Amino acid sequence: MIEADDHIAPEDEQKLVAAEYVLGVLDPTERRIAARQIERVPTLAREVEDWEQRLGSLADGVVPVQPPPELWGRIENNIAARVPPPPTAKPGLWQSLEFWRSFAITSAAMAAASIFTLAYIGFAPTASRTPMLATLGQTSGQPGFVAAVSSDGRSLTIVPAALLTSDQQSMELWLIPAGDRPHSLGLIARGQPVRLTLPPELAGRLTTDTTLAVSLEPPGGSPTGQPTGPVIADGKLTRL
Amino acid sequence: MRHVVMDADASRSQLAAALVRVAGGDRAALRLVYHDTSAKLFGVCLRILRDRSEAEDVLQDVYLTVWRKTGTFDAGRASPITWLVAIARNRSIDRLRAGAGSRRTDPIDTAAEVPDATPAAVELLEQAQQHARLATCLGELEERHAAAIRSAFMDGLTYEELAGRMNVPLGTMQSWVRRGLLKLRACLER
Repeated sequence: MIEADDHIAPEDEQKLVAAEYVLGVLDPTERRIAARQIERVPTLAREVEDWEQRLGSLADGVVPVQPPPELWGRIENNIAARVPPPPTAKPGLWQSLEFWRSFAITSAAMAAASIFTLAYIGFAPTASRTPMLATLGQTSGQPGFVAAVSSDGRSLTIVPAALLTSDQQSMELWLIPAGDRPHSLGLIARGQPVRLTLPPELAGRLTTDTTLAVSLEPPGGSPTGQPTGPVIADGKLTRL
Repeated sequence: MRHVVMDADASRSQLAAALVRVAGGDRAALRLVYHDTSAKLFGVCLRILRDRSEAEDVLQDVYLTVWRKTGTFDAGRASPITWLVAIARNRSIDRLRAGAGSRRTDPIDTAAEVPDATPAAVELLEQAQQHARLATCLGELEERHAAAIRSAFMDGLTYEELAGRMNVPLGTMQSWVRRGLLKLRACLER
C-alpha cells in the first residue's frame, strides 16, 4: 500500500516533527516528546511557528461560535486574581520621561544597527500581492509600532503599539529601501493609527528588506529631509 | 473591493497592535482581542473537543495564555489571528490527548468536510490571500492526502484516528500525511 517514492530525506525528518506537532497527529507520548524538544531547540521552535503560519488558514473553514457571555467575566476575574498591581494604576515605563530620555543614548547604537542591516541586504525578491507588515522594535526589544502596507502598495498604516510620550519633539517615519537613502513618509500622531501615502517613486515597489524607522525630530519634522534626531524604533517589512 | 481589502489590512494591524498592548499589561486591549476573536477561537476549540464545557475551559485558558505570553507575538512573522488559532488548537489538542482514551467512536458528520461558506468576517477576509495559496497547494496534493491533512487540522485527529477513519493501515496514513506536508511546504515556498 505504501507507494514506492516513500523515502523521506533525513534533513526533512526533524522538520516533519514540527509539522506533525502543529498538525496534532502525534499520539500523546510522541506529542509530549516533541513538545519537550521544541522547548529546547530554538530552530525547531522556529519551524513550529513557520508551520503554524503555513497551515493557519485551514482554520478559515471552522465555523465561528459565540462563547457564552459570562466567559469574559471569568477570564477577567482570573486575571485580576493573578495580577496584583493593575497595569493602569501607575504610569508605565513608556510614560516615564526619564526612561524616554535614555533613548537618546542608545539610539545611536540602534541607528548603526539599521545601517548594518542595510549593508547586509542583498537581492530584493519581486513583490507579490501578499500583504506586508512590520513591527518596529524599540531598543528595549518591545515593539513600538506596527505598520501594514496597503494591498495596492500605495499607502501604509502605522499603529502605535506603546504609549509614547516625548518632549516637544515630533516623531517622523522613514522608509529605507535596500541600499537607498531614507525617504520621509511624514509625521506620526501619538496614540492613534495614521495612514500615510507612499511617495510615487516607491508606491507599489516595496519589498521585504525595506526598513521602516521612526526618528525624533524638531516640531514639524526634520528640517533637512533626512533624519536628524535619534531613531527610536525600527523594523523590516515582512510578507505574511 | 480595494476598500474592503484595505480595511482588512487595517483590522489586522489593529489586532496586532492590540496584542502588543496586551503584552504591556493593557487589559482593555485584551478585551478588544477577545471581542474580535473569541467566536473564531471558540469554534476552533469546540470543533476539536466536541464538548461545550471543555471548550469553554480551554478558551478561558487560551486568553489567559495570551495575557501572559503576548510578548512572544511578533507581528513581523506571524498573522495575529493565525497566532491565536495556533494557541487555541494547541491547548485543545493537549486537553484532548490528556484526557484521551475512548473518544469519538461516533462517526464524524460529513458536513465537517465542506468548506465553510459563512459570509466572511473581517478576520477571515484578512487571510483571503494566504487561504487561496494554501488551497491551491492543497489542490496539488493527492486528494486523500489533502483530506487527511485537513481533517487532522480541523478535528485534531491523531494518525491512528485518521487511519481508522479512512480505513487504511497506520503506516500508510503516516506516509500520506508526511509526504503531503513536504509537498505542501515546497509548493508554498515556490
